[in-house]
Formats: sequence, structure tokens, C-alpha cells
Amino acid sequence: MPRYMVHRTFPDGLQIPVTEEGAAACLGVVGKNADVGVTWVHSYVSDDKQTTFCVYDGPDPEAIRRAAERTGLPVHQITKVSVLDPYFYR
Amino acid sequence: MDLLERERELELLDGWLGEAAAGQGRFVLVGGEAGVGKTTLVNRFCGMARGRARVLVGACDALSTPRPLGPLLDIAVSAGGDLDQLVSENAPRDRIFRAALSELDAGPTPTLAVIEDAHWADGATLDLLRFLGRRIGSVPALLVITYRDTEVGPQHPLRIVLGDLATSGTCRRLLVPPLSEPTVRALAAGSPIDASELYRITGGNAFYVTEVLASGTMGIPPTVRDAVLTHVARLTPAGRAALETAGVIGSTVDPWLLAAAVGPDVDAVDECLTAGLLRADGAVLAFRHELARAAVLDAVSPVRASALHRTVLEALRARVTHQNDPARLAHHAEAAAHRAAVLEYAPVAATRAAGLGAHREAAAQYARALRFATDLPDEQRQPLLTAQRLECHLTGQMEDAIAAGEALLAIARRAGDHPAEAEHQAWLAWMLVAAGRNVEAERASRAALDILAGIPPGPRHAFAFSVQAGLRMLNRDSDDAIAWGERAIALAERFGDAEVRVRAINTVGSARLVAGDEERGRAALERSLDLAREAGLEADVAAALSNLGSALGEIYQFPLAERYLTEGIAYAAERDLDRWHWYMVAWLALTRLFQGRWTEAASLAGSVIRHPGATAISRIMALVALGRVRARRGDPEVAAVLDDALALAAPTQTLQRLAPVRAARAEAAWLVGDQNRAREEARAAYDLAHRHGLRWHVGELAYWLWQTRDLVAPSPDAGGPFASQIGGDWAAAAAQWRELGCPYEAARALADGDEAAVRQALVEFDRLGARPAAAAAARRLRELGARGVPRGPRPSTRANPASLTTREVEVLALVAAGNTNAEVAARLFLSGKTVEHHVSAVLAKLGARSRREAVRTALERGLLPQTGGVQTPT
Ligand SMILES: Nc1ncnc2c1ncn2[C@@H]1O[C@H](COP(=O)(O)OP(=O)(O)O)[C@@H](O)[C@H]1O
Ligand SMILES: [Mg+2]
Repeated sequence: MPRYMVHRTFPDGLQIPVTEEGAAACLGVVGKNADVGVTWVHSYVSDDKQTTFCVYDGPDPEAIRRAAERTGLPVHQITKVSVLDPYFYR
Repeated sequence: MDLLERERELELLDGWLGEAAAGQGRFVLVGGEAGVGKTTLVNRFCGMARGRARVLVGACDALSTPRPLGPLLDIAVSAGGDLDQLVSENAPRDRIFRAALSELDAGPTPTLAVIEDAHWADGATLDLLRFLGRRIGSVPALLVITYRDTEVGPQHPLRIVLGDLATSGTCRRLLVPPLSEPTVRALAAGSPIDASELYRITGGNAFYVTEVLASGTMGIPPTVRDAVLTHVARLTPAGRAALETAGVIGSTVDPWLLAAAVGPDVDAVDECLTAGLLRADGAVLAFRHELARAAVLDAVSPVRASALHRTVLEALRARVTHQNDPARLAHHAEAAAHRAAVLEYAPVAATRAAGLGAHREAAAQYARALRFATDLPDEQRQPLLTAQRLECHLTGQMEDAIAAGEALLAIARRAGDHPAEAEHQAWLAWMLVAAGRNVEAERASRAALDILAGIPPGPRHAFAFSVQAGLRMLNRDSDDAIAWGERAIALAERFGDAEVRVRAINTVGSARLVAGDEERGRAALERSLDLAREAGLEADVAAALSNLGSALGEIYQFPLAERYLTEGIAYAAERDLDRWHWYMVAWLALTRLFQGRWTEAASLAGSVIRHPGATAISRIMALVALGRVRARRGDPEVAAVLDDALALAAPTQTLQRLAPVRAARAEAAWLVGDQNRAREEARAAYDLAHRHGLRWHVGELAYWLWQTRDLVAPSPDAGGPFASQIGGDWAAAAAQWRELGCPYEAARALADGDEAAVRQALVEFDRLGARPAAAAAARRLRELGARGVPRGPRPSTRANPASLTTREVEVLALVAAGNTNAEVAARLFLSGKTVEHHVSAVLAKLGARSRREAVRTALERGLLPQTGGVQTPT
């Protein structure tokens, strides 16, 4: 399944409280993604919390957008990516 | 026999039967390799369900050219009533199909219908499965279909039907796994055979395992076939001869037929039964498994096989009953190389198959007859070839259809029959174009017209002219298409050929429409639509709606196109007219694209692309729609999609396909800033479009050439808003686009304007989610010296205001009114847990640390309705 990097921006900063409510929010996202065949692998959040780069596995860009719509998360740009790691040539 | 380790499967089937009983019909695809245990499982389930459900069972047969609707014939016999009546009097197939559906709906208990071995299904049965599968959702019935998944490759006709049905919510799948090692051990207990070896070699295939054990050998035969033959080797010569005869007769064996063919030796048949190679199945005998029959037949020498087939054939012919199936007789006749019998039965079988819509089988029966007809006189081969040409044409076997057409042409030439020669050339032209061999098609059509020029007008002229009109229309030579079409219409009216008339009117209408003569074009197509409806020509009704929708789309009349397309899609879906259905869905996708409804466009296009049965032209248009949505959003995987579109469009060499594909590719290149490639793409189709003078195609391609600085002067042929924009009047262009209901194109025109216009364009691009165009507009604004244009993501592509779901807004509003979670739960009839989920989702989305903060942020951003009783929290 292809892998995508989803660039999102949060003008007011993304805040997920480290509480049960925060955890439940994350799980909610996971569940809604699964409904459309998309898996959230992990995300990078900028220090100012205004930008996230989220790694997703999904069948096509439309599925990534469908998932975003369900979870209400904004999408700035979707890029198709593949893994390149520093030890690849050893 | 004990059924081992199928509890899970039986439980699943039972659950689905329960759902069916409650009115939610299901069909279940039971897959698995030959001998794995599908039939055994399904039989057991039928046994369990009897009493609770009406059980109907039918099987597809393993004949190389099966009887059409074979399984339904079995079912009709046991169901009796209407269905049996219709089937035995060869009623039209839509009546038979509807009767089958009402049979499933007959009540009072749910119906459990089984169709076995669908990998051998004939064309009519496949259509029946599709018909029932699409409608079973509201019928209290469970339809179980078994098939060998290992034998259904990507090109298999069943694959297309399954792919189609699998997307519906009523489909369930069940894969029957091989037996596990412990089960094989349990079966082998008490036999001298090494159970681990047995499991390893058989892979747990139930038939293989049981056959090895039944054959009583010490070693384990290396293949299923060897296992069967080891078993057979223990029979006496007479027993073996009886078994071979049974194998020649078929999967099920009428005892009288076996007796007639084997002679008076009853013991020989008994011996096969005792050995467990044959079993009694109601009134008939059957092999324990089709694998056993295949192994037995394989080992019979060709000479002996031929002799056995002749014996069976003679026995069948000697006892004429109404059940004598011509497909079966033709099968034995061919295997016996009995020429006269083949020529007697194969054409009858073909006619019957064609009548039921099993066109593939009909074509195969004609091909069978023709294999034995090489030295027949031309007058006798001609009707066979004519029929074969039609059946191959209907099933898309174009190369065979063309070969038959060429043979007919040769016959007409030998006879010096010029009118017939012309007719055959016209037919060839039509088939060649369907096969994508346009150059040869043109030549054939020309040849037909040349011959007819020297002959007084007749019905053949009408047909040949309509073909020429069709070729000209597809090639977008509109004037010629109209001229030939009108001559065809006049002649068809004079000679009373309703079909040619309906089609020629359609052609003329389509040609007028794409050439921009909207009024007369629509009128003609509407007329063709009415006439087709009156004459009950369903495919022509779908064709008229499809051409109305697509041609109006081609000239950017999307609201009208939408009307015909939605009507046409419903019409075609109701009647399983798939070819038209998918083409109209693809055009609806394009329509939604231009209307700025991109999410719908992408999902419609995706449904066409994923559908294995969609034709190349439907696929091309869907790929264009999807590629354009992705390009306009700045999403990845544009190239893959548009490369596929080009690969499919290139061989057609027609403007109708090349122009949209090239324009889409030009747009995609331009949006990623590759001006050179954008120019090349537009150039690649521009001259062709120009030659045909089609304003809209010329318009868009000229627009890309103009955007990429390749064209300075506006083209006189360019269509409406494109011409305005190239001429520098962006405001007029934007107004025209808005009038046409194309928001993205309107914004694109504004983006060429002054600062205020570009700002407006930017807002519109943001609303549409058009990232690359928005970025370009922002850049342009900065170049114009505008202030306050943010770099980076555009405001409205960030958190979209609708990021809270309706339910979340509802919850938040109640929270804002001061309710606790428990109170919210009570008000909305939700559980406390669910409300907690909603609240935490809202907090995460708004980046709020507390409920109070969430309410404040939501109010600031206008996410909560200000009226409607929501109070500000205190
Ligand atoms: N669950 C089972 N337990 C024991 N024997 C089985 C089982 N399933 C199948 N068999 C044996 O294997 C043979 C072949 O199974 P069958 O159901 O006819 O295969 P399929 O229909 O998948 O080709 C049966 O005749 C039966 O003897
Ligand atoms: Mg079976």
C-alpha cells in the first residue's frame, strides 16, 4: 500500500492534552481512519505546534482526504513518499 | 460421512441465512480449490436449513460449451410453477430472470438457493447472477455461489461479475480452507498410511486425502490424478469400461443411458458404486467428484473416447425426449467427430443459447459447426457465418467477428453478388472501428460506398450510409457525419428499417451537438430517444441518453448534461446495460469536476476505474476526471493516471479521446510549473482539433498554448470563454464561466486580472481546495505589489471551519449552555462515553485545554450558532 506524507497546518497550534481526553481523541482518529482503509503511522509536530507532518498508509490520495474529512483535520498538502534510510547502502 | 472442522463456516452461513430471513438478502461467494470441500460444506448446510428454508440447488456443468442457464434449469425443475413453465417454453430471458427473482421471494420461509461451480457458468447464467446479485438485498433469500477461485484468473468472465457484485453491501465471501493436519490425522487413523506424509503431499485437499485412503494403497500417489487411477486400477475390466463410459456421459449420469451404452452388464455399474467411485444421487448416478471424472477421461485413449462418445450419442438420439439438450448432443457429436450430427445440433444449440442471451456459448456453437462445414457449399456456410459474426460482435470477440465477416465477403465475391459485398464491407467497417483498427475501417466503408454508388438505392444503402455516418461522427467530421446520416435516415424510412433509423438519427444528433449546434442536435437525439423507447430498443435508449450527456458535456453544457446522465445511469443500471452505464458514470465524473464538486468527481471516476468490466473509452474519460481532480488539488499520483489515459487513448487516434487527455496533461504540467511539457502536450492535439474545427477542444488547447506563450493571436475557432481570455478580456471570460457553472475556470480567468480580481480568485481557489492555483495567485498578488498576502498555506485551506462535525457542534453548543457531559448525553440520547469522545475530539480540534477554552475559541471563530438558545457560559 502506498505511503503518504500529509502536511497539516493549525493556525492556533495543535494541542492534544496529555490526558484521557487527549488519548481518546487520538483513538477516535484511528477508528475513523480504519473505516476508509487508511492507517496513521505517526506524525511529526513542529515546536510551535502549527505544523504537523503525518505519515499515512492508504490506497490513494482520495482515501487520505476522506479520512481527513471524517476526523476534521486540515490538509495542506499530500505527498507520496517512500523510505530512504542512511544504512540502505551498507 | 462425517463433516470435519467446518463449524466456523456453518456458523457464518447460518448467520447470513438469519439476516436473509429478516428481509436482508445476501449472496455468498464460496471459493476454494477443486476438491477442498465446498460442495460437502454447502450440502451439509442445506441439510441443516431444510425446514427453516426452501432449498433450491443448481449446478453449472463442465462441458466445454455448457448448456445456457444450466443451473437455473435444475432449480426450475425442483421449484416447479411459473419458473418451470417459462423455462420449458423457452420464454424471453428477462421474463425468466424476473421469475427467478420472484422464486427467491416466494416465502413464507426464506429461500436458500445454491449455484454450484460458477467458474463453468455460461454467459446467460453469469448475467443471471449479476441480475440476482444486484437485487437480492431486499429479498428474503440467501444465494450461495460456489466456485474454484484458483481457476478464475483476471480475464475470466466470472471475475468481472464477481468484481461487480463484491462492491455491493449484500455480498459475503467465504473461503473454504484445506483440512488441517490434525483432521487429516483423524481421517487416516487406522490406515497404514503415514499421516504426516499424507498431509504434506495432499496439502489437506479433502478429496485427495479421502481418495488416497479409499484407494487402499500403501504408498501415497504423487498427484490427485494418480490417486484416482490407483483406485480405478482395482476394478475389473468390465467395471472400468463402465466407469469410462460414465465419464464420457458427464458429471451426472442417467442410469438408463449408462445401461444403454454399456450393455446388459449391471454388475459392472454396481462395482463402481461399491468402490465408491460413483455414487447414487437421487435418481441419477454421479462421480464422487469432477476431479475423478477428469482423471478417468484423461486416461482413455482418443480412439476409444471417440467411439464411446458415438455410442452415447446414438443412445441419446435413439430415445428422443423433450429433455434432449442440443448442447449436450452437439458436445458428443463433436467428440465423436460425427459431422452430420454436429451440423444438425450445434446450430440448434446456438440459436437456443442466443435466445437466452448466452452469446459466448452461441458463438462457440457456431464455431463448432463451422469446423465441420469446410466442404459445405457456400449457401450453407453463409447463414452460419452470418450468425457467428453477430454473436462474436455482441460478445466483443472482434477478431473472430472480423474473420467471419471476411469469409462472408469472399462468398459474396465468388457469387458476384455486389449488394451483399457492400453490406459485408459496411459490417467489417463497423467491427474494425470497434477493434480500434480505424484505418482498415475507413477502407472497408469506402469500398462499401463505392460498390453501392453503382446500384439503385435499397436497404443496404441505408445501413452502409449509417455506418459511414458513424465513422465520421466518431472522428468528429461533423458535416460529413450529418450528410451521410441524413441520407441513411431517408432510406431507412423508405425501406422501413427501424433500427438503422434510430441509430442514424442518434448519429446526426450527436454530430450536430459536438459541433455546437445545440438546438438541432438535442432535438435529433431526443427524437432518437423517443423512437428507441417506442420500438423497445433498450440499448438504443441508453445510447441516446449517453450521447446526449457526453456531447453536452463536450460543449460545457453541464447542467443539461447532468440531467441526461443521471437519467441514463439509472436506466442502464436497471437493465444491466453496463457498457453505457460506466461510460455515463465517467462523464458524470467529468461533469462534477467542471462543476467544482471534486470529491464526487473523484469517487465516481474511481468507481469506473476499479470496475474490471469498464470499457477502454469509459476508463479513458474516468482517468481524465481523476487526473484533473488530483492535479487541481496538488495531490500526488497524477502522472500515473494520465499516462494510463494516454496509453488507452493513443491507439484510437481520434480527437474525441486525444483532446481531453492531452488537455488534462497540459493542465497538470502547467500546474507543476512545467511550461515546456504543457506546451508539448497541447501541441500534440491542437492541429488535429483545429482541422476538425471543434470550438471547445480548440479552445482549451489554444488556451494552454497561449498560457505557455506559444500562441499570441487568439484562434478564431476557440470556444466562448477561452477565446475571451486569450483575447485579454479576463472579466468577460470569468463572467461566461460563472454563467456555465464552472467555478474553477471562472477563478482561473480572474487570476489573470487586476489585484482585486486576483484576490477574488484566491478566495475561490481556497474554497475549492485548489492548492497550486492558489499558490500561483498569491505569487501573482505579491508581484503586483499587494500587501498582506501570506506566504505558506492559505488561511482557508488550514483548519476548515467545518472541521467540527455536526454532532460535535451540537455537543459543544450544549456544553456552552452549561450542561455537564451526563446532561448532554441525556439530551442527545447518547451514552456518556460517546459524549466524552465528542468532547475530547472537539478539544483536540480546537487546540483547547479545557471545555471553557473550547467554548471561547469556538465562539471567537464563529463555529457555534449565535442564536438558537445557546447561552454564553458564565
Ligand atoms: N469437511 C470435510 N470432512 C471430511 N471430508 C470432506 C470434507 N470436505 C470434503 N470432504 C471429502 O472431500 C471430497 C471432495 O469434497 P467436495 O466438497 O466435493 O469438494 P469441492 O466441492 O470443493 O470440489 C468429498 O467427497 C468428501 O469425501
Ligand atoms: Mg464441488
